[in-house]
Amino acid sequence: MVQGNTPAPGSAIESVEDTPDTLHDTFTDSRGSRLYDHFKREWQIYVMLLPTIVWFLVFLYKPMYGLQIAFKDYSIFRGVANSPWIGLEHFETLFSNDQFIRAVTNTIKISALNLLFGFPAPIILALMFNEILHATYKKTAQTIVYLPHFISSVIIAGIVITAFSPTAGIVNTIIGWFGLDPVYFLTQPQWFRPIFVGTGIWQEAGFGSIVFLAAIAGVNPSLYESAVVDGANRWQMMWKITIPSILPTILIMLIIRIGNIMEVSFELVILLYHPATYETADVVNTWVYRQGLQSGQYDLAAAAGLFNAVVAFVLVMTANTLSRRFSQTSLW
Amino acid sequence: MRKLSLAAALLVGSAITAPVLADGHLQIVEGDPLELTIQMNHARYPVYEEDWPVEQKARELTNIHLKDVTVGANMRTDENTGKTEALNLMLAGGNIPDIVGSSRIKDFVNQYGPEGAFLPLNDLINEHAPNLKAYFETRPEIEAAIKAADGNMYYIPYLPDGKYGRAYWIRTDWLEKLGLEVPQTVEEFEAALRAFKTQDPNGNGEADEVPYFARQWPELIRLVTLWDGRSSGSDTYHDFYVDDGQLRHPYAGEGYREGIKNLARWYAEGLIDAEIFTRGSSARDFLLSENLGGATHDWFASTSGYNKLSSEIDGFEFKAMAPPASISGKRVEEHRRIPIKPDGWAIGGTNEHPVETIKYFDFWFTEEGRRLANFGVEGMHYDMIDGKAIFKQEFLDAGPVNRSLYQVGAQLQGRGYFQDYNYEIQWSNEFALEGIALYDEGDYLIDQFLGVAFNAEEQKVYDRYWGSIRDYMLERQQGWILGNGDVEADWDDYQAQLKKLGLDDVLAVMQSAYDRQYGG
Amino acid sequence: MSGVNLSGIVKAYGAVEVVHGINLDVAEKEFVVLVGPSGCGKSTTLRMIAGLEEITAGNLMIDGRRMNRIAPKDRDVAMVFQNYALYPHLNVADNMAFGLRIRKMPKAEIATTIADVAEILGLTNYLERRPADLSGGQRQRVAMGRAIVRHPKVFLFDEPLSNLDAKLRTQMRAEIKRLHNRLGVTSIYVTHDQVEAMTLADRIVVMNDGAIEQVGTPMELFNHPANTFVAGFLGSPPMNQMKGVLTEHGAKIGDTEIKFDGFANGQAGRDVIVGIRPEHVTLAAGEQTSALPIELDLVEPLGSEALLHARFGNDNVVFKADTKGDIQHLSGVGEVYVPAPLIKLFDAETGHALNAKG
Repeated sequence: MVQGNTPAPGSAIESVEDTPDTLHDTFTDSRGSRLYDHFKREWQIYVMLLPTIVWFLVFLYKPMYGLQIAFKDYSIFRGVANSPWIGLEHFETLFSNDQFIRAVTNTIKISALNLLFGFPAPIILALMFNEILHATYKKTAQTIVYLPHFISSVIIAGIVITAFSPTAGIVNTIIGWFGLDPVYFLTQPQWFRPIFVGTGIWQEAGFGSIVFLAAIAGVNPSLYESAVVDGANRWQMMWKITIPSILPTILIMLIIRIGNIMEVSFELVILLYHPATYETADVVNTWVYRQGLQSGQYDLAAAAGLFNAVVAFVLVMTANTLSRRFSQTSLW
Repeated sequence: MRKLSLAAALLVGSAITAPVLADGHLQIVEGDPLELTIQMNHARYPVYEEDWPVEQKARELTNIHLKDVTVGANMRTDENTGKTEALNLMLAGGNIPDIVGSSRIKDFVNQYGPEGAFLPLNDLINEHAPNLKAYFETRPEIEAAIKAADGNMYYIPYLPDGKYGRAYWIRTDWLEKLGLEVPQTVEEFEAALRAFKTQDPNGNGEADEVPYFARQWPELIRLVTLWDGRSSGSDTYHDFYVDDGQLRHPYAGEGYREGIKNLARWYAEGLIDAEIFTRGSSARDFLLSENLGGATHDWFASTSGYNKLSSEIDGFEFKAMAPPASISGKRVEEHRRIPIKPDGWAIGGTNEHPVETIKYFDFWFTEEGRRLANFGVEGMHYDMIDGKAIFKQEFLDAGPVNRSLYQVGAQLQGRGYFQDYNYEIQWSNEFALEGIALYDEGDYLIDQFLGVAFNAEEQKVYDRYWGSIRDYMLERQQGWILGNGDVEADWDDYQAQLKKLGLDDVLAVMQSAYDRQYGG
Repeated sequence: MSGVNLSGIVKAYGAVEVVHGINLDVAEKEFVVLVGPSGCGKSTTLRMIAGLEEITAGNLMIDGRRMNRIAPKDRDVAMVFQNYALYPHLNVADNMAFGLRIRKMPKAEIATTIADVAEILGLTNYLERRPADLSGGQRQRVAMGRAIVRHPKVFLFDEPLSNLDAKLRTQMRAEIKRLHNRLGVTSIYVTHDQVEAMTLADRIVVMNDGAIEQVGTPMELFNHPANTFVAGFLGSPPMNQMKGVLTEHGAKIGDTEIKFDGFANGQAGRDVIVGIRPEHVTLAAGEQTSALPIELDLVEPLGSEALLHARFGNDNVVFKADTKGDIQHLSGVGEVYVPAPLIKLFDAETGHALNAKG
């Protein structure tokens, strides 16, 4: 410490004892130079960190500057800074629009269904994979269910349209075997949500199961052996060991999922919906796309996007708090 | 706009066969060539290629060199944004080139031109562009149509030539097989479609025929014209139309109600492709080549080409038929080639050579310039025979002619030019020509709504209401066709809801813009 | 008969045989330790007894019943794992109750059983804690508690102490021994640590390379190793082994002759390995001793004793000597004396003991 430089009589012994450190400190102990030393010593770590920081700055923080157009009458030519402020007008436009309200409702409904059926699906799948003992069979099955994830939405939509086609689709063919009339599923509002959510599960459950499989793989195998010796059957092991062991992973994934509740897979909706099914299919993103972007209303689109983000933020905070309180697991 | 160095000029000069500035009557600048930067975007040619033979020839004739500085690309195909993506990117980038050419440029320049991004062209045309001026004097409605809300013109459009776009097509060999005449009325058309459905014209023993199909489902709605309804006022779907100086929307009219009611009946009876809303762009290809499709409403040029299927399907003949007479006896072909497209080019607001640029634009409206834009380079792509430009045979044989022309820099819709329909006739097939002749016999075409340019207030009203109204209209429209609801029962509620959504306000701003633009 | 009997037990993974036909009888209440270097097959053998590995060939009998095809839970064995295998999401009481609940034992009975066992193990105050909040020794006790509550016929221990530090290990070793004395349950214990084996076992089974080298009480094995492997494995430091040739009166190692009687008759010239335990030498000549000249390298004091690292001919050897409180006098040692009766001889080729029962 600096004081050590002019030792008071009483502190003489202490300073002598501290000599090696004190001497060093006397010359270098300022916050800046310590930081300098720190960076000099650990610079490799910061270099490795740099790309992530840059990514965040460039792709997440800088665009936040543009969020202000939600409160402006934005013109691309005038730019973000020079467009005039108009307050909450875009939000008034949004909330006075029945179709926007309907889109918000649809988004929440589809997301809720997704959460209800789509969230457990990869967990169940992972548990099922875990029970497969035959290695080749397991690998083959996993590969097959992972595949749809790697197919572009356009092709997925094509497959769905074909499968549910009233004339040639497999679904209606099967319905036909029971002597029933074909159903033109994709134009019936009441069928959109089941088909959409089902498609989502088919496409993503397999790939989503990877994280849970990894969590299961991380469970200490002797827990199972111990349970075997104790007399547990596979079902009991799944409920009493596997699921409790991967519960933290499940909760984290759930929180993340809740944070994405306003993000319904936009491309797939665009590809599958029709005016005839807007009633159930139109979600915030598609509404914004049609109203905002197709007619160049970036400011309105930004307002809707901001609304989405705020809702998602509140939801994820709530979920995180609840999870921390009840299970000691949380994202942060 | 840098002046080329002498050495570079010599280099360019030596690359061209004819001596530079040999015949100077089209020359715009003296001495060193003038370089102008250009952004040009279209889904089919994402950048302006400086070595296109047409550009090279234009350089030789005008002594103006276009330099490509295109940013972005309009590679997406969705109706609006996809075609102006690159424009938005360019504007957001802050650099506006001397010349900007694009598909869907009209709304863009009309919005940003008054803000200063593009130069108004009226005075420039009057003073420096005799050919353009002469054109607009003969076609005042074109001039009116491209004007922005402030009364200025901000772009020179691509002006399509020729009248016909889509037509009714029917399997005439099936008609013959079933002993039917070509339908002349809506009742006969319905009877023919029903016969296709029930009498197994493809002879495979199954009732798998699809009597009426369409690549774009709004072509089903087009059929409401058979009940005196309207489906669109222009070549854009769901557009407003002008009825005796009054703007209306087709989906709010009585004829539309009648048409939808009957189309719903047709759909229920299986006369219309059950998958009309989901089959998509491959519908025509699939249904015709599988010997299933009976009739459609589609483009002359591309649809006539399917007659080559006769080599695979015995007797296959898919011919254009005149529009059947509606219930009141009117024969209407609602779709036609619109005389003016929202595509073309404009002068950037920071252009330091506006006069030279407008002269350059004018060049493409001279006889030589127009021929260059339509046919390519003489001697290379076409020859002059009896005063007419005739494509060389090897050029016609080199694959799709449209594509070949794009590849040499001709027929670019990002360029303001006046199309010459003769270019197309030379490679249209006999069935298309026969169909066009058939349509020429009657007077089936109706006037088109060429669009309006809003001022800021009008734009705000339009933006606020129109999207929701359109969504609602389409939602109900498909619902009625599919049998989710009955148009007769729902009609009053429908009208009330349109009113509530603000259709009257939208029509009012359309009307005020229209009156301002076309002089009421 | 009660206890555990292994006869001709073989384990093969595909074409690779890792346990080559083991025969072993474990008597009721006996504490048997399987010891050997890693990879010798001792854990595999234990897991076969537990039922965690299938038995490729041979017979496994527990309490007179053939167990080869019996499910682990029906073998009436309890196992303690190396890393304790405690369920991290359950507290101590629930961990111990796990097996009992699976077996549908009445709740009240579970509670009293756990209370009793917790008392024995000194875990009564920790029943509500989760494993993450326990020390290593406590976790180890919970793992044992989980086995004890089951009242099995056989305890199986798979290196249960190897995750503990040295001090705790000594302590837990004693606890295990006391527990066994108290409960009197047949136990089979796997370890690679020969000290654990010596201290815990009623009988030790030394395994190497998938086969049993020798079975016997700790002292039998220490005093009469059946071969060079056992001789080298048990004892710390291990027995010194030197190549030599038998003579008329003893054996010659290099130029040095060690004298002993009663064995070499008529076998002079045979190649042997001479084994001398480090603790058997003396620094002063006595009766029936032979002198071994050594070059001293290093003296390692251990307190009352010291280790002498030295070279003898071409061999590195280690001997133990009393320090008597000081190591100064050890620095000048030039030879040690080997008492003839304690010398071990092994066949140079097979490694088998030649004078096994002296």
